[in-house]
Amino acid sequence: MTALELDGVSKRFGEEQALESVSLAVEEGEFFTLVGPSGCGKTTTLRIIAGLTEQSSGTVRLGGESMAGVPPEERNVGIVFQNYALFPHMTVAENIAYGLRFHDPPGGGTVEERVTELLELVDLPDFGDRDPETLSGGQQQRVALARALAPGPDLLLLDEPMSALDARLRDRLRRTVKEIQTALGITTVYVTHDQAEALAVSDRIAVLNDGRVEQVGAPEAVYQAPANRFVASFVGDNNLFEVASVDGTVARTTEGLEIVVENASPGDTLAVRPENIHVGQDETTLQPTVESVEFHGTGYTLYCQIEGRELLVAADTYPDEPVTVGFSREAVQVLSGTAANE
Amino acid sequence: MFYYPVGTVIARGLGGTVEGAGAVGAILGSEFYVGVAADLFRDPAAVPAGIRGWIQAGFPRVDFGLIGFTVYQALYSTLASLALGLPGAYLLARYSFPGRETLKSLTMLPFVLPSIMVAVGFVAMFGDSGVLNDLLGALGFGHVSAMYTLEIIVLAHAFYNAPLITRIVGAAWEGIDRSMLDTARGLGASPTRAFVDVAVPQLLPAVLTGALLTFLFTFMSFPIVLALGGLQLATVEVWLYSHVQQLDLAQAAGLAVVETGITLALTYAYLRYESGQQGLTGIGRGPNRRPLFGSLRDPRRIGLLAYGIIVVVVFLGPLSSMIIESVTGPSGLTLEYYAFLLERQLTGAAFQVKPLPAITQSLGFGAATLLVALPMGVTVAVLESKQFPGSRVIDALLMAPLAVSGIVLGLGLLQGLVFGTDVLGHSIRITGPVAIVAAHAVAAYPFVTRTVSPLIKRVDDRLIESARVLGATRERARRDIELPLIVPGIVAGAALAFAISIGEFDSTVVLAEGSGRYTMPVAVERYLGNRTLGPATAMGTVLLTVTATSFVVIDRVGGWWEP
Repeated sequence: MTALELDGVSKRFGEEQALESVSLAVEEGEFFTLVGPSGCGKTTTLRIIAGLTEQSSGTVRLGGESMAGVPPEERNVGIVFQNYALFPHMTVAENIAYGLRFHDPPGGGTVEERVTELLELVDLPDFGDRDPETLSGGQQQRVALARALAPGPDLLLLDEPMSALDARLRDRLRRTVKEIQTALGITTVYVTHDQAEALAVSDRIAVLNDGRVEQVGAPEAVYQAPANRFVASFVGDNNLFEVASVDGTVARTTEGLEIVVENASPGDTLAVRPENIHVGQDETTLQPTVESVEFHGTGYTLYCQIEGRELLVAADTYPDEPVTVGFSREAVQVLSGTAANE
Repeated sequence: MFYYPVGTVIARGLGGTVEGAGAVGAILGSEFYVGVAADLFRDPAAVPAGIRGWIQAGFPRVDFGLIGFTVYQALYSTLASLALGLPGAYLLARYSFPGRETLKSLTMLPFVLPSIMVAVGFVAMFGDSGVLNDLLGALGFGHVSAMYTLEIIVLAHAFYNAPLITRIVGAAWEGIDRSMLDTARGLGASPTRAFVDVAVPQLLPAVLTGALLTFLFTFMSFPIVLALGGLQLATVEVWLYSHVQQLDLAQAAGLAVVETGITLALTYAYLRYESGQQGLTGIGRGPNRRPLFGSLRDPRRIGLLAYGIIVVVVFLGPLSSMIIESVTGPSGLTLEYYAFLLERQLTGAAFQVKPLPAITQSLGFGAATLLVALPMGVTVAVLESKQFPGSRVIDALLMAPLAVSGIVLGLGLLQGLVFGTDVLGHSIRITGPVAIVAAHAVAAYPFVTRTVSPLIKRVDDRLIESARVLGATRERARRDIELPLIVPGIVAGAALAFAISIGEFDSTVVLAEGSGRYTMPVAVERYLGNRTLGPATAMGTVLLTVTATSFVVIDRVGGWWEP
């Protein structure tokens, strides 16, 4: 069943078109992520869903009902902001209980029981009487999550909730969020600029760019089959080549490199992931110069130069110079046309 | 409609132009008011010849008249305030010591200390039978006659405005990012050079801001000049008051227009200058503070010690002298002056100033001022927090009460409303007390706004939005979340408004003239005419107690005005 539907939602801020006809459908219980560079409109989309910003045109439906004219307090959603936004003049327990002033505690218990239940859910059982400012960033974020969940919302909205935290804490909290989401089965819309994070936790992702939806799909599908040049370059590392001319199965790029590929035509973009390029010869063989090498624990990233452009190669071993790298025609994705925006 | 009192005042001030248009010309052309510059307005063509004559005469001392003297004393007062205030800024920014925060909040004290009380304190300390002369006499030294000199006026103005300088410059100094200085050092600058190249350009705007405000305040200063200078050393403001007292309202209106023109120009300069100074502030780590108490071999510590002694003498001297004088008579310790206050209350004639009405009326006006200034100040703060076209106009309106002198305000209310005005054929009159409350509210509400609006700006929109999404309506979210977060500012603003009302003298003395509607500061001034200092100092001590209490409330609750 569709829990959330956006139908042709557009938003203008004065002269600026923040969103252009965004249409999305999020299924019940799904963990859905909006990902894109800053300024792409993902936070605006989230705010329109919550009713905090009004769209210029288009329809938002929650549980099949149009939300036109419905104020945020009547939409029964929960929201967690990047900066936590805990009420500084209330204790942790009072923060969590705030939404219960307007909703009966789900499950029929008392407010105290609900607060205790949520403190245990976010693993902060003894923190009820503390003031928010005495908590660490990660703890504050878990309180914010508990506060959003307390009234039992139909939909959970997370606006870059991890980006103020350091990397290790972010990974741990991300797992906590995912576990809680799975346990409660609550429909979740997650906003992030971090594509790796989006790939890691989501059931499906929507890639946004410049107010438009570029691609919607499961993380694996978006990674392996990007719909266009923008998605190919934004999601994961990639090497992109523009095709100048084609002779049978050999495409000649604008730099003059020859790449063996099926079904390419001039004007297309070819995308080759660094991990699909290996050291040694193949159908396409290149002899770049290695500029620098980074070690990643599981392998090496080679930053190479060839014909005046950069080439990224993921290698298992430290390369000997001069290096020869190659890839098969199966490693090459053909993206028709060159996107204007990159 | 909240701008009604301000609007009335400005309209009245300008209204004065119509009636006093002739008077303005007369003032500008009068040697008494502007000295030799009068020729500039009477006969501009003769000016070059006049200057040539002046040069030929060998640059004799030039007299610029009453307005010239007012500027002159304001200039000296500003320099004295800088001299007394800047070391304090250095001390607060660069040294750590117990009581640093307390000292910092004490720099706000002049805003609540009634200036007439400060004047009484100076009389008690430096007057002919004051503490200083008593001390000198006891030590066998001669008599010092400091009263009615320019020096004592300048010193009292420094007492009042040096803390302002300390506060503004100290805040700027603390906001200078230490890593900027470190970067300059790393690039090869010596500590002195780094200070001159990096810190001074960032401090200079604050110094100029403080100096401009001090000049503005001392230009309009009234009770201090009145009590310490008398009519021999009168400034525009005192002369204006004397005209009002003699009911020479046409002259007064003309003088008021001239004065308001000057103060508005100064305020405009201040606002223009301030708006051009929105740089990088308060994002860096402040300067390293060294402990204040340590080896006295450091010459800077000896300098600061000397500064500390001066500060104690200048600031504590007058206040403690006032209290001392109130409990000492010719025959030693006595409570007879307080007894006098009580006795006057019981047996005084109707025309005499009784202490109890002064106290109760002061408290009454204070409470009434709160009722007006608090909603007004909070509303303006809310309006100011919403970015809409014209919000800068509000900033300017907030400064307006500072730009118009208390006497002019009192005069405007007196002429415009108390004497009655015709609006659409209906005669509108208000009574004296209402006018006094209006004057106090106008003086006080900017301070309410200044304490509340930083707190409103600090309330994150996300907090309100979180509450909305959790189920609160817009109004409910404001009540549950925003209101509790700005309550400290409202309480501090209330205490500040109350203290300002209690201490307000300039407008009140105009409006209370010849009526029984006097307040504590007015009573202090009237007792000051007595033979002994006793009753005035006793009344002043009562006033000090009330304002000090307000100060403690504000300090406990926090939310001080940051200029």
